[in-house]
Amino acid sequence: MTSHVGLMILFAWFVSVVFATLMRDDPKQQLRFGAQLLAAFVVGGIALGWILYFFPL
Amino acid sequence: MRGGASRGYATLRRMRATTAEREQSAIHTYLICLAAWAIPGAGHLLLGRIQKGVTFLVALTLMFLCGLWLEGRLFPLEIGQPLVLLAALADMGIGVLFFVARAAGSGVGRVVALTYEYGNAFLIVAGLLNMLVVLDAFDITQGRK
Repeated sequence: MTSHVGLMILFAWFVSVVFATLMRDDPKQQLRFGAQLLAAFVVGGIALGWILYFFPL
Repeated sequence: MRGGASRGYATLRRMRATTAEREQSAIHTYLICLAAWAIPGAGHLLLGRIQKGVTFLVALTLMFLCGLWLEGRLFPLEIGQPLVLLAALADMGIGVLFFVARAAGSGVGRVVALTYEYGNAFLIVAGLLNMLVVLDAFDITQGRK
């Protein structure tokens, strides 16, 4: 659970839940928007991780 | 002449009433915002948005507790170090939980812990998200949502 990916997903989940609840009023829309946000955060994070892999410090 | 005077008194009474209503409304708004800051989701609960209020209460409290579990640090208010000061202000966004955690001696932060930076991110973002929730509650009281 305390792996980097696990914590990144947990963090993305919390942020997605709050943003979806803030920005949508209908629970179904909240669920859908939250899932889209979560997917975008996780895919974006992994993609960014791979991009940075090719540019080591 | 007398009719004009009575109309004037009526207008004055109406103006006083309107001012009193405005003051009451402003106090109500400030109290809602204060409650929303102190306890995540409390503003929405007081405004009758039960589902949203409960979601904020659970999600933000859990996020803050995760930050403590990950050995993040609750930053002190140090004027001399601007970045620490900003982090402290963001941490305080979560409200009463911040002060309870400090009083309980948690949130000391262990710099050598693998999850230290993650913990800080959870604590800081939980506070910032609660500030957004306060602004949302403010918008609701103003009739914008």
